[in-house]
Amino acid sequence: MIHLNGIVVKFGDFTALHDINVHVKEGEFFTFLGPSGCGKTTTLRTITGFIEPAEGTVVVKDRDITHVPIENRNIGIVFQSYALFPTMTVYDNIAFGLKIKKLNKAEIDTKVRDIARKVDLSDEQLVKAVSELSGGQQQRVAIARALVTEPAIICMDEPLSNLDAKLRVQLRNELKKMQKDFGITTIYVTHDQEEALTLSDRIAVFNRGYIEQIGTPNEVYNFSKTEFVCNFIGDINRLGDEFVAYINENGAQVDPSMHNYIRLERLHVNVTPENGQIAVPGIVETREYYGLYIKYYIRAAGQEIKVIEKNDGIRIYEEGQNVTVIIDPRDIMAYPAGGREVQA
Amino acid sequence: MTTMAEKNRMSPRRRAVNVLVHLLLAVLALIWVLPIFWIILTSFRAEPGAYTNTFLPQGYTLNNYVKLLTDRNVLNFPKMFKNTLIIAVCCCICSTFFVLSVSYSLSRMRFRFRKPYMNIAMILGLFPGFMAMIAQYFILKAMGLTEGSLIRIGLIIVYSACTGLGFQIAKGFFDTIPRSIDEAAVMDGATQWQVFTRITMPLSKPIVIYTVMTSFIAPWVDFIFAKVLCRANADQFTVAIGLWNMLQKEYIYQWYTCFAAGAVLISIPIAALFLYMQRFYVEGMSGAVKG
Amino acid sequence: MGNKQISARNALRYGDLYTRLSAVVMGAGLIGHKQIVKGLLVLLFQAAFVFYMINTGIHSLSMMPSLGTQEQGKVWNEAKQIFEYTTGDNSQQILLAGVVALFVIAAIIVLWILQMRHSYKIQLIKEQGGHVPTLKEDLRSLLDQNLHMTLMTLPCLGILIFNIVPLVYMISMAFTTYSKEDNHLMLFDWDGLHQFQRVLNMNGNIGRQFWHVLAWTIVWAIFATFLNYILGMILAMIINRKDTKGKGFWRFCFVLSIAVPQFVTLMIMNIMLQPSGAINVLLQNLGLISSPLPFWQNAMWARITIIVINLWVGIPYTMLQVTGILQNIPNELYEAAKMDGAGPVRIFFKITLPYMLFVTTPYLISSFVGNINNFNVIYLLSGGGPTYVGDTAGQTDLLVTWLYKLTVDQQYYNLGAVIGIMTFIILTIVTLVTYRNSTSYKNEEAFM
Repeated sequence: MIHLNGIVVKFGDFTALHDINVHVKEGEFFTFLGPSGCGKTTTLRTITGFIEPAEGTVVVKDRDITHVPIENRNIGIVFQSYALFPTMTVYDNIAFGLKIKKLNKAEIDTKVRDIARKVDLSDEQLVKAVSELSGGQQQRVAIARALVTEPAIICMDEPLSNLDAKLRVQLRNELKKMQKDFGITTIYVTHDQEEALTLSDRIAVFNRGYIEQIGTPNEVYNFSKTEFVCNFIGDINRLGDEFVAYINENGAQVDPSMHNYIRLERLHVNVTPENGQIAVPGIVETREYYGLYIKYYIRAAGQEIKVIEKNDGIRIYEEGQNVTVIIDPRDIMAYPAGGREVQA
Repeated sequence: MTTMAEKNRMSPRRRAVNVLVHLLLAVLALIWVLPIFWIILTSFRAEPGAYTNTFLPQGYTLNNYVKLLTDRNVLNFPKMFKNTLIIAVCCCICSTFFVLSVSYSLSRMRFRFRKPYMNIAMILGLFPGFMAMIAQYFILKAMGLTEGSLIRIGLIIVYSACTGLGFQIAKGFFDTIPRSIDEAAVMDGATQWQVFTRITMPLSKPIVIYTVMTSFIAPWVDFIFAKVLCRANADQFTVAIGLWNMLQKEYIYQWYTCFAAGAVLISIPIAALFLYMQRFYVEGMSGAVKG
Repeated sequence: MGNKQISARNALRYGDLYTRLSAVVMGAGLIGHKQIVKGLLVLLFQAAFVFYMINTGIHSLSMMPSLGTQEQGKVWNEAKQIFEYTTGDNSQQILLAGVVALFVIAAIIVLWILQMRHSYKIQLIKEQGGHVPTLKEDLRSLLDQNLHMTLMTLPCLGILIFNIVPLVYMISMAFTTYSKEDNHLMLFDWDGLHQFQRVLNMNGNIGRQFWHVLAWTIVWAIFATFLNYILGMILAMIINRKDTKGKGFWRFCFVLSIAVPQFVTLMIMNIMLQPSGAINVLLQNLGLISSPLPFWQNAMWARITIIVINLWVGIPYTMLQVTGILQNIPNELYEAAKMDGAGPVRIFFKITLPYMLFVTTPYLISSFVGNINNFNVIYLLSGGGPTYVGDTAGQTDLLVTWLYKLTVDQQYYNLGAVIGIMTFIILTIVTLVTYRNSTSYKNEEAFM
């Protein structure tokens, strides 16, 4: 559906994107994830046409649109903080694009009301000024405005980043449901890994103008391809030389010349090790109580190890308590030293 | 309870400070309002002349206003008023267009000439305004715009031609409108012109009104360019020259009180516009879209 | 567009026949590459230019070095028994025509470069099999990606013709003998830097006046700017105090004085402060003084009066402008200072003033520049007076009002132009030093 072939974008001497290759499938919810300045928004703006690449092509449905003017690309966009036109009513906001395209009044009206119904905007809300709407309603208007011209793709540029935490989760779910209902190919840009993991069919992780990995949420989380990805997505322990040496003495075969990592939830405290698992003695330094789970900071084998345990209400360890950390060497993710610098 | 007690203990000193502050403000306000009050009194003064032996008028009359508005022989004030109005309206249209166009282009468009333009504008702003005035007169003369009723066109040109240099306030306002609003409109297929007229302009009411009013007021208060351009063409005089002339040696005794009347008459609308505009000025400073 | 830069030089080096032809026949490249209307338009400009040069331009330029030699003559006509005047050369018109001709030539050079580039660009598009925009597309782009051309052409023309050309014209006068002195009003000549020497020479009459006026201009600008700034800020703070009642009313009283046109209030002030004006009358009636105070007659009195009246004019203006910024100062700063036991004076100098100076540096610079060029206040109040016999500059004249007197009243155009240039140089130095260092100039916008 969307093919980005060898996209290179330069701002003066600065290369913002190096050879970006992405293939987004029809109907997919595809996320560009990365820290700020990684090139994710630049890639999105290349697709929408606000930026023209120095090299490479953008192909949508077998049509090369690299040099097609923005308005002829048939793409809808939902901006960060929505960029609704503040002087217009909700209705006029949605109808703006149709008016520009000089559709007749009746046609515009049908289309606007149709899309409004689909995104759950009532007739009373249509005549309101956009400033009178709540954050969630504004998001719906923004989506309706993006969809009313019946685009082939919808792009979303951090649409949830200006909202408070609770609303963010609520709107995230609403967004996902709407995307499912419309079945429209969606490109979503965010720096929030949780958002990316919950919403996406597939994720492209960006770093310094390169794509580090493209994969499903499970792939990028459990099988991070690069050190950057495993660091950026989720919390992780880096295993130091002393720790690696200790578990190797106890039967593991971990290459100490690599950078070794293990996720917090793969470690356990005070359980009986079984087939190949290794127990490392340690002492609880501090703990953070989250309710759903508890995070322990344990000093073991000369370093601090973070472990997450489900809060079952029975096994709760106190600060200063001696414990054993159970590790399964097969859960360790190893990366060659000297890859692209870790930023996260 | 302690806070209440504290408050009561504080209050004598605080009250004294408050009384002093309000007293000071009253004195200052009197100083600021007095000249304006005095000119209003003078406009109703019965005895003529600029200098009298008493601070307050001895008698009151409306004749100053009557004379100002009916005397067409010596200093034709109604005609001057008409001249100025015509010039102000034309100048207002041109300047508003110029200022908004330039500000929008500089704020929203990116082109090679943009930075140089802003630098040139800054440099030109450092030349004393009157340095160009004489040369402007010669240029208008070469164009034949310094005779008869063409003087009006000359004045309109002089007042509006260089307004493209005064883009700072409007540009500052446009800069506060988020870029993504423009981009949303462009995604919907709007051309830059449509973005300018249908998105930016409705969002910029305060600054549009501010620009319209400042450019409308300019011809009413300028007497220097007008004087240089009109020279002795009395039937092309603007209000400002008229008022200026009333204070010259040959007219001052007869016309001083009329000057006061004229000053009051043109100050009322300008003051009203200004007081109204002040709100937009403040809004203009704080930007279009909040949050 | 390949790796060849689109420039006029490359157009000459790598251009095809049409592109190179347009070096001589402007627009040929465009016509040859099927941009016919645009090409014809450019050609039309070239034709107009040639026509202008043949008709007047060459003559205008040829007169520039001499600025005219033919004096206006008087011939006795026996038949009619009158003097007949033969038209002589008018140097001022010759100079203007010459300056205009130079600008026209500059304009055609710019147009030449642009059309060379443009035809080369179109040639490259064609060679690479790209799409050459049609006339319709070009016209449409004027409302879209090239909207700035549509919007800015007229304003730029206005600035060019009525600001830049006059300034250049006026500047060129500084290097001539154009002046009423020695009767050089009709016919004048190039004079090199002679007038600059006169102005800068402290021992000469003009030079003495110049340094005098310059010193007063700077003293004035400093007083007018900073007194207004600080007192206006204090007034705004007094009105904005939590305990002040009727804030709106007080503000209205002060704002009213700016709402009345400045020239009206200033002229009234002038009259009120005359020896038999209202103020002196009032003071005499009250028995406070026996003879009128010499507000405008004594140089020192006049200077102080002007500064004080300028406070009257300027304070409300500052008040209006700083009110909003004052309210933006974070309250925590004040609370922290109060916790440390600082009094109101200390708080003002340690917190309010530094904060305001930080935010309003550009405003201060522009108001300093405005005060150096503050024509109205001086001209309408004292008229530059009192003036000593034999001087052209009065004791309260600023460089601008002196410039006005020298040109409009005295017709010493060359001296006036020199003064204007000196003012510009001084302002440039002041602005460059301060503006370049201010943060708000540096961060006009972040990248993108």
